[in-house]
Amino acid sequence: TSDLFDRAVKLSHYIHSLSSEMFNEFDEQYAQGRGFIMKSIDTCHTSSLNTPEDKEQAQQIHHDDLLNLVLRVLRSWNDPLGHIVTEVQGIREAPDTILWKAVEIEEQTKRLLEGMEKIVGRFHPGDLGNEVYSLWSGPPEKQITDENSRLYAFYHLLHCLRRDSHKIDNYLKLLKCTLMHGSNC
Amino acid sequence: SPPGKPDNIKCRSPEKETFSCWWEPGSDGGLPTNYSLLYKTEGKNSYSECPDYKTSGPNSCYFDKKHTSIWTMYTIIVNATNELGTTTSDPQFVDVAYIVELRPPLNVTLSIIDDPPHLLVKWSPPSKADVKSGWVTVEYEVRFKSKKAQEWETLDAGKQRQLRVFSLNPSENYIVQVRCKSDHGFWSMWSPESYIQIPDNF
Ligand code: NA
Ligand code: NA
Ligand code: NA
Repeated sequence: TSDLFDRAVKLSHYIHSLSSEMFNEFDEQYAQGRGFIMKSIDTCHTSSLNTPEDKEQAQQIHHDDLLNLVLRVLRSWNDPLGHIVTEVQGIREAPDTILWKAVEIEEQTKRLLEGMEKIVGRFHPGDLGNEVYSLWSGPPEKQITDENSRLYAFYHLLHCLRRDSHKIDNYLKLLKCTLMHGSNC
Repeated sequence: SPPGKPDNIKCRSPEKETFSCWWEPGSDGGLPTNYSLLYKTEGKNSYSECPDYKTSGPNSCYFDKKHTSIWTMYTIIVNATNELGTTTSDPQFVDVAYIVELRPPLNVTLSIIDDPPHLLVKWSPPSKADVKSGWVTVEYEVRFKSKKAQEWETLDAGKQRQLRVFSLNPSENYIVQVRCKSDHGFWSMWSPESYIQIPDNF
């Protein structure tokens, strides 16, 4: 399990780096001057999951619950990640690097989810919830042809992806310490 | 006249658990002027006032652990008020996850190793940051130059807390500094200068 956890942490770190770079690239190319950040106080589709908001909260929550939250957040990104890959192909002049990152993030997130399911399975054999989380309400209406609204919706999704991938990375690093080194953390 | 607009709100967190914001006051219009910082987080409709104007010095606001959440966008504005009116700054948007600037690394020690000849640089993680629990992940960078040289040479140390330097000239006096950052944060200041005299037979 220690080995599995090491790999999960490396993978989540990598996914967050990619998400962060993708957000920054998109932000520089499309969002500057459009005031997107003002609107990004809109909540993310995963905000109802009530994940810990600081170190104390993350350390007080039982590690089983934190592991399950990580699974839920990961699962809730299945559909939106597919949408990001599709959408980026429709954005005018989107650089190849953004497309490549979107595809890579989708693949690596699937790998991370599989790894996390294995880890949770080892702690609690047979207790692996397999609920489908459809917290995401789907892509914006097809009839939104307004370029600016489409770009904003995409920007917002990338912002949420960066945030959630950072959360997952941070929670996994805390969990690794708690589960591998116990009260020494 | 009414006060000028407070400007350049800058926020930093030394450990991803608390943060501070500073602003530039703008002109006071020649009258006694009061400043207040207001903030709200995602999903909140109303603003709250800065919980602590003292801890981080003049024209600042300190958010302790109780007032700090990560992964939410803070909207921050500063009001300047004198008897002729109030002027509000442009809003600043802050996600604490992305404003981390650690303190510099501590206890930088330098020692000469003979075989093969090289300089061993060691250091400790910065104060405040909780590295042990995994809450903060720290990367380091080392720079060094001969006192005679103009340019620094910089080496990436990754997550290690020591680094071996081989390319040094014998008989010269070197300056060494270390800095750090957490993933996707800002680089810290460089640690205070440390000095070492490289032996003649190096
Ligand atoms: Na984030
Ligand atoms: Na102050
Ligand atoms: Na807090």
